[in-house]
Amino acid sequence: MEGHILFEIGLALMVVAAAGLLAARFRISIVPFLILAGMVVGPHAPVWGVLDFRFIQSAPLIQFMGRLGVLFLLFYLGLEFSVGRLLKAGKSIFLGGTTYMLINFSLGMALPFLWGWPLREALVVAGIISISSSAIVAKVLVDLKRTVRAETEMILGLMLYQDVFVAVYLSVLSGLVLRGSSSPLEVLKAASISLGFMLGFILIGRKLAPRINRLLNVPSDEIFMLIVFALLTVVAGFSETIHVAEAIGALLVGLVLAETDHFERIEHIVVPFRDFFGALFFFSFGLSIDPTSLDGAIWPALIAVVVTLLGNFIAGVVAGRKAGYSYYGSTNIGLTITSRGEFSIILANLAKAGGLLPLLQPFAALYVLLLAIIGPLLTKESKWIYSKLAVVFKWPAIKERKQRKQAMES
Amino acid sequence: MSLIKEIDLPGIGRKFQVNARSGDKLVIVVHDDGRREIHHFDNDDPEESISMVTLDDTEARRVSGIIGGMAYMPKALESVDVAFDEMVFEWYKVESGAKAIGKNIGELHIRKKTGAMIIAIIKKDKRIVNPGPDQVIPEGATLVVIGDRKQVKSCKELILHGSL
Repeated sequence: MEGHILFEIGLALMVVAAAGLLAARFRISIVPFLILAGMVVGPHAPVWGVLDFRFIQSAPLIQFMGRLGVLFLLFYLGLEFSVGRLLKAGKSIFLGGTTYMLINFSLGMALPFLWGWPLREALVVAGIISISSSAIVAKVLVDLKRTVRAETEMILGLMLYQDVFVAVYLSVLSGLVLRGSSSPLEVLKAASISLGFMLGFILIGRKLAPRINRLLNVPSDEIFMLIVFALLTVVAGFSETIHVAEAIGALLVGLVLAETDHFERIEHIVVPFRDFFGALFFFSFGLSIDPTSLDGAIWPALIAVVVTLLGNFIAGVVAGRKAGYSYYGSTNIGLTITSRGEFSIILANLAKAGGLLPLLQPFAALYVLLLAIIGPLLTKESKWIYSKLAVVFKWPAIKERKQRKQAMES
Repeated sequence: MSLIKEIDLPGIGRKFQVNARSGDKLVIVVHDDGRREIHHFDNDDPEESISMVTLDDTEARRVSGIIGGMAYMPKALESVDVAFDEMVFEWYKVESGAKAIGKNIGELHIRKKTGAMIIAIIKKDKRIVNPGPDQVIPEGATLVVIGDRKQVKSCKELILHGSL
């Protein structure tokens, strides 16, 4: 029977848009809603006449658009990524970021080993657990009007540090996971191929920057966009043929184009595409998860959430105190960085592509669902949490505003 | 001017911390989406802001014009030029012999040729803030020009000679 593919895609977009509206209503990040929406519909969903929410015909197409979403997300990360900025951020960011990574990465490795999961799965879980969602964090800070606070500099610095870490980690991990081998020699070979590809690409990109500059020097936005997207897709597709994750290819194109004069123009045109296809990415990830398969993932995800909250909080407070922020500021750091989102899902997707334990996807879905909601909530309630903790740890209480006192006196 | 401290906020925008001579502390956050947040801090408590104002892009420009003296020049000052990093504001009086008098901003191609921009025209009691391309340059008016030093200089030449 001939399917009504356009209508199915239309329905899928309706579900995505509805999830977005709900997220806006509840003032929560859109990411958990999109994943949840994807999980609710799918092959097990009911059919009401023409309204077919199983998305059987269109699933491959939605999956493909989600794939493009990853490319745009990583391309954008590459554009924004800057080692120079990180170096400028200073010693306290570097120390704080390293402290954070040491604590949380080792916790993330320890958990799957305790559960008896194999090495490659453990590496994926460590990544899922240690990398915050810089998008959610930035949005929460803006929404809560915290951008002005001193410790926000440190929080954003930590996000910058993690972005650099993600880029390197993804490339090494994709080599390991996609090669599908486990002998140490093969693993080493795979990792060096992807690292070599990255370095080579960046070096050549640097050399060719003036030429790319001239190539992109077209007044028409339409042609400009076509060139940029062609570069993006070709490089990402080529990476895949040599077993380097296509996401890394996209990231590399972003890195190289960030060096050109057209950086801002590219950023401008890519944002709507990133948002659209990115939303479909989270939706298609949810779609790929069968809610009945969640059983085995519930406990690991819950334990991982608790461990993440503890590890992040401790790392945040330690990093904040070392950098000279107040106890309250440091608490803010520790609570704000707990949000998880896009990177955890990208890693879970990578695990799927490499044929690792299928349990990883429902695990990541539950984990991100919980922390994308809990993280922003903790951030919002940080004052209340601090006041409770201050009693336990004998930290100084937050100063009451002077103005109120004056107002009462007068 | 070391009283302003600039701090990058990656993914959000840029923060400007102003410690005014009066002892007040003001922090302005310019968001990448165009919003501006202005916070006022107490002298002895650098952590919690006392009050804040959020402006959208258009409002922020209006307010900056008022603060910069474009709508009403402080009486104590004769002619002003304000430098901010590389950026210069200059109040330029159109002399009677200038070739650009009677021509409009669009046909002079001021922005295209010089890179500078006329953001206000002040003539006696009349003030035009943010003039459009069909605004004619009147004789004896004071133009408020913004740009870097070179751009502002070539803009003044363009006004004087009618071409570059």
